[in-house]
Amino acid sequence: MNKLVLLVALPLITAFLLPVINRVSALAGRWSGPLILLITSALGISMWSQLGDSAVAVELGGFRPPLGITLYADQMAILFAVAASLGTLLLWPNTGEDRVRQSTLALILAASGSGLALSGDLFNIYVFYELIAVVSYGLIAAQASSGSYAATMRYLVVSSFGAAMALTGIALVYQATGTLNLAQLAQLAPTHLNNTQGLAAFVLMLIGFGVKAELFPVNTWVPEVYATAPTRISGLLAGVVSKLALLIIVRLLVLVFHQPEALTVMLVLGIMGVITGELAAWRTRDFKRMIAFSSIGQLGIIFIAFAIPGKAGIFAGLAVALHHLVVKPALFLLAERWSGSLSSLAGAAKASPLAAALFILLALSLIGVPPLPGFWAKLLVLVELSEQAQPLYYLGAFVILAGAALEANYLFRVASRFYHPEKAQTPPAAHGIAELATASLLGAALVASVFVLTPLSAQIEGIATRAADAAHYIQTVNPEALP
Amino acid sequence: MDTGLILYTAAFGLILIGSAGIVLSTHLVRIIFGIALLEAGANLLLLLATFREGSPAPIIVGGRVPATMADPVPQALVLTAIVIGVGILALALSLALRVQRAYGTLDIREVRQRLEQDIVDEAGIELPSSSDAPQAMVSRQEGQA
Repeated sequence: MNKLVLLVALPLITAFLLPVINRVSALAGRWSGPLILLITSALGISMWSQLGDSAVAVELGGFRPPLGITLYADQMAILFAVAASLGTLLLWPNTGEDRVRQSTLALILAASGSGLALSGDLFNIYVFYELIAVVSYGLIAAQASSGSYAATMRYLVVSSFGAAMALTGIALVYQATGTLNLAQLAQLAPTHLNNTQGLAAFVLMLIGFGVKAELFPVNTWVPEVYATAPTRISGLLAGVVSKLALLIIVRLLVLVFHQPEALTVMLVLGIMGVITGELAAWRTRDFKRMIAFSSIGQLGIIFIAFAIPGKAGIFAGLAVALHHLVVKPALFLLAERWSGSLSSLAGAAKASPLAAALFILLALSLIGVPPLPGFWAKLLVLVELSEQAQPLYYLGAFVILAGAALEANYLFRVASRFYHPEKAQTPPAAHGIAELATASLLGAALVASVFVLTPLSAQIEGIATRAADAAHYIQTVNPEALP
Repeated sequence: MDTGLILYTAAFGLILIGSAGIVLSTHLVRIIFGIALLEAGANLLLLLATFREGSPAPIIVGGRVPATMADPVPQALVLTAIVIGVGILALALSLALRVQRAYGTLDIREVRQRLEQDIVDEAGIELPSSSDAPQAMVSRQEGQA
């Protein structure tokens, strides 16, 4: 199972060789990046099917933990590693002059995304997380407008603050346990981290890793960055990178932090995220920032879902996360040509009927209209919330429902503009073929999932069950550990 | 006071000063210095995690293992964290330079305003104004006069 390393190593090597390859042959320089991502995606999918119910752990270089670094792969980790590769491939930056540099950054993003998903060591996670942060600064600033520089700067400040908080949390964990290997931490957590210091470490790491996951107080960068970055990069950050950060938080909750207060903190911040995100989206008057704010709201729902204790919460959260992973990049691809104000979109359906139809499909799923998978995902969350029988969880359910009403209001407002009989003075241009094809592919995946919802649901429930099993994680990484 | 306590105070102090600098400063370069201080504090805390005063370096000479070696793991980790921190510091300063060239200012409040204006201009909409906004109040008073 050493193929696991290739998911990280292949894109990383290609990234650093890319300037050289491009010098030898421009054609090879153009296609080697997408080709490698295609290979790693195929590798990941084949590993996924081989893996089944089991999980594997690889000790890099043969060093045993705590000195060595562990890669841990269960189906959830591989799923997100493939999402990182495939997502980067679908949202490959297509620009003219500094193509090589952007391709290099995109490849590093895919590599560190896979690394983040597979890593079984807290410090390794921190390093990959910082790597993702640095390449995303580069990719946002590649827009080379004054706005994108300022937005990147503000993002960098928030993100560096978060990273330092996460590092402080890691220091507290190391101080209490003397290890950063997640499996060993899982063994030591009940005796060493079930106290105030553990809770403080969790809150610090939640804030740190929450920056990328658009968690409530540290998401000020979201509207600015998504409004000024290239739309494909916005789609990548909102769709894929935010889910990778969530994956880390879920792993920490399952393995290390079992305090009920930890879940309460997440629940409250998630509720605040839904309220602020949906209200801001409702008030916004331009398309890009509207979907940026709506993604804050959607990620708030995921945080609320993951705050439900046990396997049920992971199942519901995973469902919403995967749904958002498909829908949000497609919406950002459509925003490529619809970046202007909402009023300038009047009659846009005439110029690009397919894009308008796609938008309506995505919007319906985002709101949660049956039979689309968005309905199923939200229903799962609501059912599990109502079973918790605690006032705060009921509040969460209420906020999600109110948020859905707001979503319906602002998304339908846009949809009605598209079919407005009076055209805007300067109607937006028709969509590029690449954007439309990718968005259609994602839309088709959404529609296809309606027909296989029952097996899909069983599959995701299986992933969640195994991901929630801390004892299995410990056994896989360290077979000698007593159960 | 023993050394450990002084060092812990220093670590948390650096974290506090750095955070306060990021939140309270208005000058971009000062904010970047705040990030540097915050990172220094976090690194120091990580080093202190298994700090034992006077413990020898973890080098095995002639097969003799010292009884209380210093823990090498946090030192290796901190080295990595410092390298990452320096890289980000350089990136932040070069970005600040770009911002300064684009907007002609390093005051974060002005940068925010100009950024908002840029986004709004590109989208072709007007700045959302509230009746309490200073600019709106000024223009209203001018209108009355």
